[in-house]
Amino acid sequence: MHEVVFYLAALWMTVLLGLSVISVIRARSSLTRILALDMTILILIALLVLFSDSNRVSYYLDAALMLALLSVIATIAAARYHSEGKLFS
Amino acid sequence: MSPLVLLTDALVLLGVLVMTVGVYGVFRMPDTYTKLHASSKAVFLGVIALVVASVGTREPAVMTRGFLIAAFLVVTTPIAAHVIARAAYARDEAMETPGAVDESGHDLPARPPTRDDG
Repeated sequence: MHEVVFYLAALWMTVLLGLSVISVIRARSSLTRILALDMTILILIALLVLFSDSNRVSYYLDAALMLALLSVIATIAAARYHSEGKLFS
Repeated sequence: MSPLVLLTDALVLLGVLVMTVGVYGVFRMPDTYTKLHASSKAVFLGVIALVVASVGTREPAVMTRGFLIAAFLVVTTPIAAHVIARAAYARDEAMETPGAVDESGHDLPARPPTRDDG
């Protein structure tokens, strides 16, 4: 029962990851694409946390922490470059 | 089956359900401003539910790293959403929601003038 829940959750979140990649491709404006990429990274972080919960090991979470750090910097840089033409004014 | 295992399963299923709602919202909502609600609130709360479910592992290394990720996401996800919304407003993206009224940003210029001091 316990393992089945984790397997089904990981399977369904892989489907969600694919759907969010489709929403990145189908985005109509650049900011919607940046938003969908941010959501893709959040789903990837959640998938790594789920693997770490199910295997009771912690080294997936280091990758998740680095993804969280880098995705925020990337989102802020891309959105500011898109709106103002340069990163830091 | 112990209560902690049941709590872990319930939190995992809750997180996956909330993230499903968030992804559906990004597909369903018409413009960037309303898509931000789905991606930055619903998906983020699903990640938080999955992090809280790591209490069920009873491993201190997993729990400390998990709550570090949760604390970091609590700080940074609103900042990213704010930056995206501000950029969308500055680029004059249309609000395509029916009945949308622009009530904010009268002090924010439509295109900020680029200064040449950089």
